[in-house]
Amino acid sequence: MKVKTYMSQKGILPRGFIARVRQIVGNEHFSQQEGDLISYSLDYWLYGVFLSQKGDLPALPSAVISPASAAQIQEIVRCAGQYKVPITPFGGGSGVLGGAIPLNGSVVLNLQRMSKFLNLDELSLVAEFEAGIMGANLELELNHLGYSAGNIPQSLYCSTLGGWISTRAAGQFSTKYGKIEDMVLGMEVVLPDGNLLNIRPVPRRSVGPSLKDLFLGGEGTLGIVTRATISIHPLPRLTIKQSFIFPSIEVAVEVVRQVLRAEARPAVVRIFDEAESGRYFPNIGRKVVTIFISEGETEYTNVDARVIRRISRQNGGKSSGEEPANIWLQKRFDIGLGPVLMQYGGIVDTIEVSALFKDAVGLYRDMVAGMKAVEGTLEVSGHYSHFYREGACLYITFAGIPKDPLRYYQDTWDAAMKATLQNNGSISHHHGIGFWRIQYLEQELGASGVRLLKSIKSALDPEGILNRGKLVDGGR
Amino acid sequence: MAEDKKETEKIGRCAMCADMCKYSCPTYLATGRETLSPQKMARLIVYHEKGLLEDRKDFLDLMFQSALCGACSRHCIYDDYDLRRFIHKARVKAFESGAIPEDVKKRVETFRKFGNPNGERKPIDKGAGDIGYFISCSSYKDEDLLRATEKMLSKSGLAIRRFGGGDMCCGAPLYYAGDMEGFKRASLKMKAEVDTKQVGKIVIDCPTCVKTMTETYRDMWVELDVEIMHTAQFIETLLKQGKLGIKKKKRTVTLHDPCILSYDLALSSAPREIIATLGFSLKEPVYSGDQTHCCGAAYGAKIGDHRLKDAVTSRRLNELRSTAADIYVTACPTCKSVLSEINMKYITELVAERVIAKR
Repeated sequence: MKVKTYMSQKGILPRGFIARVRQIVGNEHFSQQEGDLISYSLDYWLYGVFLSQKGDLPALPSAVISPASAAQIQEIVRCAGQYKVPITPFGGGSGVLGGAIPLNGSVVLNLQRMSKFLNLDELSLVAEFEAGIMGANLELELNHLGYSAGNIPQSLYCSTLGGWISTRAAGQFSTKYGKIEDMVLGMEVVLPDGNLLNIRPVPRRSVGPSLKDLFLGGEGTLGIVTRATISIHPLPRLTIKQSFIFPSIEVAVEVVRQVLRAEARPAVVRIFDEAESGRYFPNIGRKVVTIFISEGETEYTNVDARVIRRISRQNGGKSSGEEPANIWLQKRFDIGLGPVLMQYGGIVDTIEVSALFKDAVGLYRDMVAGMKAVEGTLEVSGHYSHFYREGACLYITFAGIPKDPLRYYQDTWDAAMKATLQNNGSISHHHGIGFWRIQYLEQELGASGVRLLKSIKSALDPEGILNRGKLVDGGR
Repeated sequence: MAEDKKETEKIGRCAMCADMCKYSCPTYLATGRETLSPQKMARLIVYHEKGLLEDRKDFLDLMFQSALCGACSRHCIYDDYDLRRFIHKARVKAFESGAIPEDVKKRVETFRKFGNPNGERKPIDKGAGDIGYFISCSSYKDEDLLRATEKMLSKSGLAIRRFGGGDMCCGAPLYYAGDMEGFKRASLKMKAEVDTKQVGKIVIDCPTCVKTMTETYRDMWVELDVEIMHTAQFIETLLKQGKLGIKKKKRTVTLHDPCILSYDLALSSAPREIIATLGFSLKEPVYSGDQTHCCGAAYGAKIGDHRLKDAVTSRRLNELRSTAADIYVTACPTCKSVLSEINMKYITELVAERVIAKR
């Protein structure tokens, strides 16, 4: 093959493995064709996307296997264990930390054939789907019936339910509807030994440590999620969009803290710094703009919006009307600028971290300053994208045209992670670890934390079959 | 050269996108195969152009596995970009080197022999008037459709010249196969035929013909000097002008939006207006209007692999069945034929059931 790989080589599969897997899934769902291998070589890890322009790919899978059921996956996993063939599960391939890159000669287990809407329980407000369903399709199906899952990440159109679970994802409407760990009530998982774990959906249980939490953020290293039951919400009767301009990031963060302390629960809260406001809202320019979207039952929504308005005004906020919220709603899935910059040699990426309110502003200031100091930087900008009563997620975007792209990429990430840890933050809010963030894992979890995670991995997957080289490189 | 560079930049951006349109792609959805998703197709086209692919046959086969329905273009984050143009370019190269799939080859051979994709057929030319009604290849053999259309046209009281059949075809089958010389000849022949009809307006029952005889012909510098409209637009106008009398009766209808009608011609409201005016109650499937899914089209037409075509059709049938409507209707004769398992009707059949003599 003429494309080059720079992280690991394609493996040679044992004949017995190929023959057995072909029997399990059928010939047409086992592929070693060039087009398939290239298509499953990379997810949306942006440095990898940058390099892919010239045909440089991190790794090629040894084969692509597309099962249609959990039973087939069980057999495949057992067969992989027998032949010591590593497996990389592949959902939508939208992860930004390289979690779905088939390292170490892995085969790819493509989960996208498993995309059925299985069950709707309107009485209990839950719905069950196969894990390979694309977020947008899940949402369109539910919307048609008058419901929403409430999980609307920027990757809605290219990520899967299984991917959301495996990366411990969060959507843009999460302040009201919660994150994926708040939504998943039950799931079915194929374990690394091929056995099936069925966690029945219930509102809560007290039966030892929560087993489902092993897989919420497991990144396909501890098991393969095949279906899940999630909570759903009736579509809102009323939506109120508001926005305010505040004199500084400090004031904006303080307002949101007070709003949440007052028990208001807007679905969307976003604080844009001057640079991002300038890009998003040219009519307003480089100011600190905060948008709030309240939605749900009419009475509660009106109260919610009133509380937000009162607290914003009390703190010197100047209303900028509905327009900024409407503009954001229109542009929120537009990732078009990144590829354009990359075509001109630009390195682009986003980093999301979290911190308590006491550290939230210091984190923003230190992160932006640290990243801007890296040579080659064009722009560093940020917004707070998800909120809690206790703190927030800070989402930073950076771009540079450096002489040495890899050096620049590494140094900028190092500066961002250093500022995060100095401000008592977490190195990831919702993108996960993949392979790229493993280098910062010990600083986040400590040596004991990493040891514990490795022990769990070794106990579940002693041969290191599942997603080798990701999250925690445990097992063999 | 500058134009080429601009085009290369466009597909280069698509190849680095996060595949934000793949949720709408019918071939991806029917197979769950990442390789068929628009962004991956773009990456492979870019790699092919750069000489980075070894397996040429694999690549060319993939280029014939797109439905060319336009869902990706409709849902693209970039303006002024249509991946189909690049897939089509690859098909042209495949055709020139003789590397087209068997299903497509058979269709092209039939076309070469008979001047249309159906085989031997009689020419139709009846009636007279300033309005022409072109009977497309996909409706030529559909007696129910033709009878219903005839009834509707006669009740309208308008002077209409019906024509089609024989070797009259817009040439779309050749265009999709990548045979650009053949397509050019077909377009010039169509232009000459249309000129002889001496009509000011042509109504066409097939969305692909409408698109081909307007937008695609223009790309080839062929301009038909007549107004072209789709049947649904024509009926909508007749109903608005009160030229068709209607007997209303409550029944539920599910509309299958043809992909070309929705994505390329932006005419998804016309059939809905007709259905509402006829007094039917519309039951929308999950994927409708600008979220519609392609039916899979005819064998060897757009998708060159019959198994993939069947998978796309099967998925669409299931989506439509879930509405459990009394009647299923569409505005494309090909969709009607492909989705015949659920007794799909063409829009004129729905109108013909309700139309009464105007007093």
